[in-house]
Amino acid sequence: MHIPDGILPAQLCIAGYGITGFMTWHSLRKINQQSNPQESLPKASLLIATFFVASSIYIPIPPASVHLILNGLLGVILGYFAFPAIIIGLFFQALVIGHGGLTTLGVNAAMMGIPALLAYHLFQLRHRLGKPLRPQIATGIFAFAGGAIGLGMAAVIFLTIVITAIPADMDAQTEQTAIVSLAIAHIPLMLLEGLFTAVLATFLQRVKPELLEGQ
Amino acid sequence: MGVVNLDGYLRLESPIHRWTPHLKLAALSALMFAFATVQTLALAPLMLGSTLLLYGASRLPLRFLLQRLRYPGLFIAAVVLALPFASGHTVLWQWGLLSLKQEGLEAMGLVVCRFLSILTLGFILLGTTPFLSLVKAMRSLGLPPLLADMTLLSYRYLYDMADTLATMQQAMRLRGFGRIQRWGRLNSQVLKQMAALIGTLLIRSYERSERVYKAMRLRGYGQAKPASTPSLAADPMSLALTLLAGTAAIAVVIAEVAW
Repeated sequence: MHIPDGILPAQLCIAGYGITGFMTWHSLRKINQQSNPQESLPKASLLIATFFVASSIYIPIPPASVHLILNGLLGVILGYFAFPAIIIGLFFQALVIGHGGLTTLGVNAAMMGIPALLAYHLFQLRHRLGKPLRPQIATGIFAFAGGAIGLGMAAVIFLTIVITAIPADMDAQTEQTAIVSLAIAHIPLMLLEGLFTAVLATFLQRVKPELLEGQ
Repeated sequence: MGVVNLDGYLRLESPIHRWTPHLKLAALSALMFAFATVQTLALAPLMLGSTLLLYGASRLPLRFLLQRLRYPGLFIAAVVLALPFASGHTVLWQWGLLSLKQEGLEAMGLVVCRFLSILTLGFILLGTTPFLSLVKAMRSLGLPPLLADMTLLSYRYLYDMADTLATMQQAMRLRGFGRIQRWGRLNSQVLKQMAALIGTLLIRSYERSERVYKAMRLRGYGQAKPASTPSLAADPMSLALTLLAGTAAIAVVIAEVAW
């Protein structure tokens, strides 16, 4: 789910870089407000490498298999490091497997990164709204919301950009219908991503809670 | 995962390889963005021609380009192949309900040309510049230091993590994972096992990062150091290439606006 080079007009690519620049500035400012940002740097870096590798894993759903985007999970685990992490991950993807592109890096990073930050804030809500629930259940529910909405929002942004930017003379009504119907087709993937994020977050809470507590 | 060895052609000798990295990055990026502005089909041959000229000058083998284009090419094909049939009104050829339209065909040609040119320029940049020099060049052009450090550290551990994952997946297969699959439904057991796989990988990398941080601290990471200003000196050849690429980028944008 990345937009390759050559599809988008230059203005959109530059606007994407503008939004990504602002979001990076905002994330770095928040990171620098933490007590020891340098200590978090190797952790975030190694987790980026892991996420990059993990996003290539296919989940077998016979007869096919799907691969996860994991941007919601990235937000849940990395917090404000998620945005820089996504930029770096996308840069590697363009570099190592030729997926995505260099001119569209800004657009792709905003498309994945903003939902990831939203997922982080959703997951944070468990501290306030999840108190009456058992910790495992609260983690599961809020991680599900983060994972599902992270992917869902990214999918809607992706479809909107691709369908409106492709130079076909479709009228606004047809474009809207296409976006809505394709977005509905993504709902099963959203549920799967949410479910996976929930299972993984509860696994981490059981085995290595400090990985989640950092956020 | 389809990790390609990036450093395969860095030792070749060419003016593009010798081009000072920060100038190369700036000039090729300007050219890529200029190509992204092209909406006029008449400019496409110019765009492809200058890209090919640069690729020829880099002396990278054609095999490298074809290998790198294969995967993104499939994606772009999936996106644009419908265009000649879906868009436009001048019918060129009709077969039953399918009609090939001129405007759609032109739009497809333009997208494919832009895609090939921009991607090839990207591969020239990445195929002729060592990764470390590229990050340093970005740093000298204003990339925040935290982002540069994170990029370098992640890259350092990328292949290690890929190896760890491959070992873990092999261990899972040896223990019988993936043998029994029920058709048409998602097995919750499989989902749990995959989550445990990725979760364990995350924990391993997290624990490893704690050791890496301690090792970095012992070597003086994070201590105040005199700010080093990267040298921005460049040889005449690099300056000439930068000037040429910069002029081409401006010319493309002006031609596009004037057309």
